[in-house]
Amino acid sequence: MVLGATLAGLAGVFAFHTHTANGVLAPLPAAGTPGPGGGRSAGAAGGSGKGGSSSSTTSPTTSPTSSVPKSSVPSSSTTTAPTNTSATGTAIQYGYGVLAVRVTVSGGRITQVTVPELRTAESYSQTLANQVIPMLRSEVLSAQSARINGIAGATYTAEAFAQSLQAALNKAHFG
Amino acid sequence: MVDEGNEIDTSRSTPAAPETVTTHVEPVMGTVATITVVAGDLDRVGLQAALARGCEELHRADSIFSTWNVDSPMSRVRRGELDLADAPEVIREVLELCDQARTASAGWFDPWAMPGGVDPTGLVKGWAVERARDVLVRAGVAGVMVNAGGDLAVSGTAPGHRGGHMPGCRQPHSRWRIGITHPWKSDSLARVIEVDGSGPGSAVATSGTYERGPHLLDPWSGRPRCSLASATVVGPSLAMADAFATALAVGGDRVLVAPWRSLGGYEAYLIRPDGSELATPGVVTWSPEE
Repeated sequence: MVLGATLAGLAGVFAFHTHTANGVLAPLPAAGTPGPGGGRSAGAAGGSGKGGSSSSTTSPTTSPTSSVPKSSVPSSSTTTAPTNTSATGTAIQYGYGVLAVRVTVSGGRITQVTVPELRTAESYSQTLANQVIPMLRSEVLSAQSARINGIAGATYTAEAFAQSLQAALNKAHFG
Repeated sequence: MVDEGNEIDTSRSTPAAPETVTTHVEPVMGTVATITVVAGDLDRVGLQAALARGCEELHRADSIFSTWNVDSPMSRVRRGELDLADAPEVIREVLELCDQARTASAGWFDPWAMPGGVDPTGLVKGWAVERARDVLVRAGVAGVMVNAGGDLAVSGTAPGHRGGHMPGCRQPHSRWRIGITHPWKSDSLARVIEVDGSGPGSAVATSGTYERGPHLLDPWSGRPRCSLASATVVGPSLAMADAFATALAVGGDRVLVAPWRSLGGYEAYLIRPDGSELATPGVVTWSPEE
């Protein structure tokens, strides 16, 4: 479910302004400084799930930023939250290794996303995962505002994350 | 396949008649397809049936075109075991599109230059995603996005607009905002691109190095090559957008002057290896940096 409704909401983090390019080829401001670039060739794609899954949500009515925790503070023993359910999704094998996602749902909202299982074949993959997973976590947590509708240019890690997240949400009876 | 047991409905009855957005995840074609649907007037049963038909479309394309499955009709055509004339008609249809894309990209997208025989993989995922989207449109959904591993097609109303109209605005909310993954800053998007879901809908395809490393082949040399950090093409057909994004990623800026620009309706947003960006005039982007 991630790349659609759930992996949305980065626009809640940044302030976006419209910007229409003019001219035949309009140079835009730099996107940033180049990183390690290169990389190496990946193996075969690893969609290893056992069939699809669905979830429905109503559109959000409140700003998500007010209720998204900034730090990861698990609160499974708290008595103030209406209902606190945690679940770990299926461990998904993907192009670079294995990962599993754990979610905590409280009061009909996803309040925490962690990756308790992450095994990669090489340190290069581990570095990538360490870069990508925080982004995915924050996207899920802020997804409850659908400020963007989808993400183009997804990756193996994002796909595996999406699958395990969906399994975890199903287990937690999200909603 | 759609498993009704996995479907979670969190619709709550509120006075504002909440819009129900359903997201379905389907592992297919060696990746994960995400189908996001704004149900509109379609009831739950109708929606499940529509999702099942959309997924069937993806799996059918996979079974015909998979180059990983040595027994697929496409694999047999590649080995010369199956005559094109005897192959499923959709193979001829897709190869015809490949030929058009090869011409329009001035040869920078060339399935006939791939090792092991003609390989339409670079176009067929987009082709299948478009067909799945159209199945859902015909089923009567208000809005739909099908996203297979980062190549996506949208149609109709985007989620978050509750019925499609804002007070005082006559335009339906068919503008979809698509984040473009940043090629090396993993904690941010490079841009947000706005596309129109009205009419036949829109497609967004992104090609580049990203996590997979250099995996694109130069059709002229047969060697791996990637001239851009990221190439995104927006346009009416995802099959074509997919092919043009690949051509741009491999060939770089020079592909911008290839015939595809005169087809109409296709626009590009590019990030060069030095971080500089280019966009053709029709691209509407939202910058995360301003």
